[in-house]
Amino acid sequence: MDLLERLTPIEQSVTFGALKVVGVFAIVMFLVAYAVLIERRVCAAIQDRIGPNRAGPFGLLQPLADAVKAFLKEDFMPAQAHPVYFWLAPALVMIPSLLVVAVIPFGSTLGNPDNRMVIADLNIGILYTFGIASLGVYGIVLAGYAARSKYPLMGGIRSGAQMISYEIAMGLSLIPLFLLVGDLNLGAVIDYQARGLFGWLIFKQPLAFAIFLVAAFAETNRLPFDMPEAEQELAGGYNIEYSSIKFALFFMAEYAHMIAASAMLVTLFFGGWTLPFFGLDQPASTFWGGLLHIGIFLAKLLAMMVLFVWVRWMWPRFRYDQLMALGWTRLVPLALGNIVVTALWLWLKAG
Amino acid sequence: MQDILFYVFAALTLVCGFLVVANPISRSPVTSALFLVLTIVSLSGLFVLLHAFFLAAVQIVVYAGAALVLFLFVIMMLDLKAEERRRITRLGLIGGGLVAVAMAWLFRVVPREAALVASGPAHVEGSTPALGALLFTQYLLPFEAISLVLVAGMVGAILLSRKEPS
Amino acid sequence: MTGVGYSDLLAALAPETALVLAAVAVLFVDMGLMRSAPLRQRFLTACAVAGLGCLVTLGILASSGAHLRFLDGVLVVDSLTQWVKVFLVVLTLFTAGISAQAEFTEHVGEYFALVLLATVGMMFLVSTEEILMIFVSLELTSLSLYVLAALDKRTRHASEAALKYFLFGSVAAAFTLFGLSLVYGLSGATNLTGIAAGLRAHRSDPLLAVAVVMVIMGFGFKVAVVPFHLWAPDAYEGAPVPAAALIASGSKVASFFVLAKIAVLGFAGVEGSGAWGQLRAGWLPVLAVLAVGSMVLGNLTAIAQGHLRRLLAYSAIAHAGYVLLGLMAMGYPSQRSAALAAVLYYVATYGLTTVGAFGVASVIERVLGNGRIDALAGLSRRSPLLALCLMVFLLSLAGIPPLAGFFGKFGLFTAAMGADPAGLGLLWLVGIAIAMSTVSLYYYLRVLKQAYVVAGDEEASRIVVPWTDRLVLIAAAVGVFLLGALPELLLGPLARAIAGGNGF
Repeated sequence: MDLLERLTPIEQSVTFGALKVVGVFAIVMFLVAYAVLIERRVCAAIQDRIGPNRAGPFGLLQPLADAVKAFLKEDFMPAQAHPVYFWLAPALVMIPSLLVVAVIPFGSTLGNPDNRMVIADLNIGILYTFGIASLGVYGIVLAGYAARSKYPLMGGIRSGAQMISYEIAMGLSLIPLFLLVGDLNLGAVIDYQARGLFGWLIFKQPLAFAIFLVAAFAETNRLPFDMPEAEQELAGGYNIEYSSIKFALFFMAEYAHMIAASAMLVTLFFGGWTLPFFGLDQPASTFWGGLLHIGIFLAKLLAMMVLFVWVRWMWPRFRYDQLMALGWTRLVPLALGNIVVTALWLWLKAG
Repeated sequence: MQDILFYVFAALTLVCGFLVVANPISRSPVTSALFLVLTIVSLSGLFVLLHAFFLAAVQIVVYAGAALVLFLFVIMMLDLKAEERRRITRLGLIGGGLVAVAMAWLFRVVPREAALVASGPAHVEGSTPALGALLFTQYLLPFEAISLVLVAGMVGAILLSRKEPS
Repeated sequence: MTGVGYSDLLAALAPETALVLAAVAVLFVDMGLMRSAPLRQRFLTACAVAGLGCLVTLGILASSGAHLRFLDGVLVVDSLTQWVKVFLVVLTLFTAGISAQAEFTEHVGEYFALVLLATVGMMFLVSTEEILMIFVSLELTSLSLYVLAALDKRTRHASEAALKYFLFGSVAAAFTLFGLSLVYGLSGATNLTGIAAGLRAHRSDPLLAVAVVMVIMGFGFKVAVVPFHLWAPDAYEGAPVPAAALIASGSKVASFFVLAKIAVLGFAGVEGSGAWGQLRAGWLPVLAVLAVGSMVLGNLTAIAQGHLRRLLAYSAIAHAGYVLLGLMAMGYPSQRSAALAAVLYYVATYGLTTVGAFGVASVIERVLGNGRIDALAGLSRRSPLLALCLMVFLLSLAGIPPLAGFFGKFGLFTAAMGADPAGLGLLWLVGIAIAMSTVSLYYYLRVLKQAYVVAGDEEASRIVVPWTDRLVLIAAAVGVFLLGALPELLLGPLARAIAGGNGF
């Protein structure tokens, strides 16, 4: 601590910033690895199996084994593939989901009120997440194009159409929230929700939550909307020609997307790092209180991820036209209606 | 710092914009579309430097996130092949040379005599509520007119893309 | 927003709102109620709805005498803009009239909705003095017109024309936008008076020269002057006839009006000089070059045309050149009101004449299957009405008294002659214009010779002109004749409106 106090304020904020970036990155990558394990264990439980339990106690070292396996496999590139895009695509898939996490407030403070637990406290936080998340589709589309092969191309095309369709519903579903909150900053969204359990926006805007949740499934390419992969139709879709660590990147990116989406859901609808009990909805004044807030955030995040996993193993896949019909003819009008109703309600309330 | 970033983003915008239309290495439409994405991202970097965060984000959401994905979608759907390299004719060479000379002259003359006004009247410092208020007061009419443009565009797109029953 | 409520704004926009509602109503009636009706009936019904919308709009325009200026010129409503809007709506009404019997598309509702939306765009265009709004309404008009031009999907020819129109148009729009953004950068204002004030310090700025040229380039495309005219012959020939009529008439009226506004109000102080021997940089010499090119090239090329609509296209280019003379006269303050009245009279009567000529072309093409001039042989026997209307319209275009075209040209040329008090500065342009008008007489008469003198196929049956077309053609022909015989009918109110306005 002495060392810290000798630094100028700018140096301090740079140091804290760097620490936060490294910490968040480490946690996200850790979560990605263990999300795979969670997925496999939950899936096994749903299908009345045991799941991976050989590597380490309760199979806890399984992610490590998977990683080693991915690295040791042959990295194969089809002869007809477009080399630049083929290399670029896996990276492009991964990057956006890591960037989205940057604006999510994952805790209050660690005792020092000037040092909020968010990497970048943007005043347009939510728009930033949309902007970055919408770039994620390029990785998939490019992967589909780069392989110069039928199934990946179809996967890429499907993903392009799907992402755009559901981004609209997703964006529209959030407008009522911001009508209520009056700010695009995610920190302000959390402050707004720190008013008891029923201050959480899921209770004030259940319809917005439902639309956002459905759209989030579509945006992360998870079942029931995993059209771009669709093993039974496209044999894996956009990533069919990939192997080894490049394939692993696609695989990890899916979970990173899931984490980003869960983090958004928690922040927007479940009060972020707050809990409505024991005064936990106020910024922490001590170091341990701050850690507790981060713990609360992570616990909510894990709950959301289990929801994602659970849905995947319980639902069948939509047909492509059903997916489009749901997006354009159900979700978009519902979201528009929700905006109008919320605006009217606010207008009446304001008198 | 700000100045350096400005030059970086401006250079990126120009170089990528050039590569969209006149890429010497690849004439594949996908490459052009991707460079257009980069152009737009660099443009939004310029917006950030102007503290227009809202515009920067919207630029990415709308253009990079939606419009260009549709470009790629169409390119892939129609399976557009790489464009043939254009032959440079003598006429084109002479015309291009003349334009280049004229532009060079302009670049020599303009900075000496031109002075852009430092800042426009609507200075909102990236504040989204202020921007929203402007859109619903001062610029209400253009805003509404754009919705008509969209209606016309939508009707037209549906009309032209549908197969005629013959 | 000082002291202006949303209800005031809505009241001022009542005509535009009525047209938008009519567009929605057409879509609803055609796609909701008439879905399974035969094509002919759908066209008639949709035309009736659109026409009703136009009539209601005309009623609103006639009954409102408001003089309003909202939000620094974003919306300007005075009796002058109301008059121009009346021209536009009348032209749209006629366009709807000549499409009542059409059969070029299955998408009837969309067609009429787009016609009305294009008109709304033009109406916005004439009642604004703000470059943002100008650009948005320009895009509304253009976008609707691009689609209208492409509506006939059965022939490759039409698609080619539409693509040409669209590509040229979008590039021109990009130029306009770039020019306008430079203007904004130089002046720091988006409304035209503010721009003129802001530009005062930058009159000799090369950047301003670039901006002025780019803006004029963009509008030069809209009004089809040389060298931005290349789309016009193809679009006029390939697009569905009524769509081409709208492109040739309404869109021209609005574009000329707003170009005059931008040049006279926005670029006030950077006129330069277009007088012979004393050219000085500014927008006048730019217009002078465009005018000479259009008059010469348009008239000379029209001689070689074998297709009626192509001939009309080249004649339109020539006429755009004449109108530019009037615009140039507006650059001289002493002549401004007279020149503005002359320009408006000219474009209004020209629009009317063109719609009429396209109406004749539409009937002929429907019956004969092609629009070549040779095919007109024996028209006077097969349909005296069509031949007579064609004669009235073409002679008016040529500028033969007592038709409207003569007084239009007369007004323009006198305004241009009197423009430069120091001398007859624009005389050289007027000289070219008169010389070229005589050239134009040749090709108009060539068409009439086919229609009246050359004997056609003796066996050919009479052409039956449907009542809707007959109504429009007779109305247009009577209008052309009346306005020519009694120009005061239109010039009087226009002069009063100009005098009562803000000097424009």
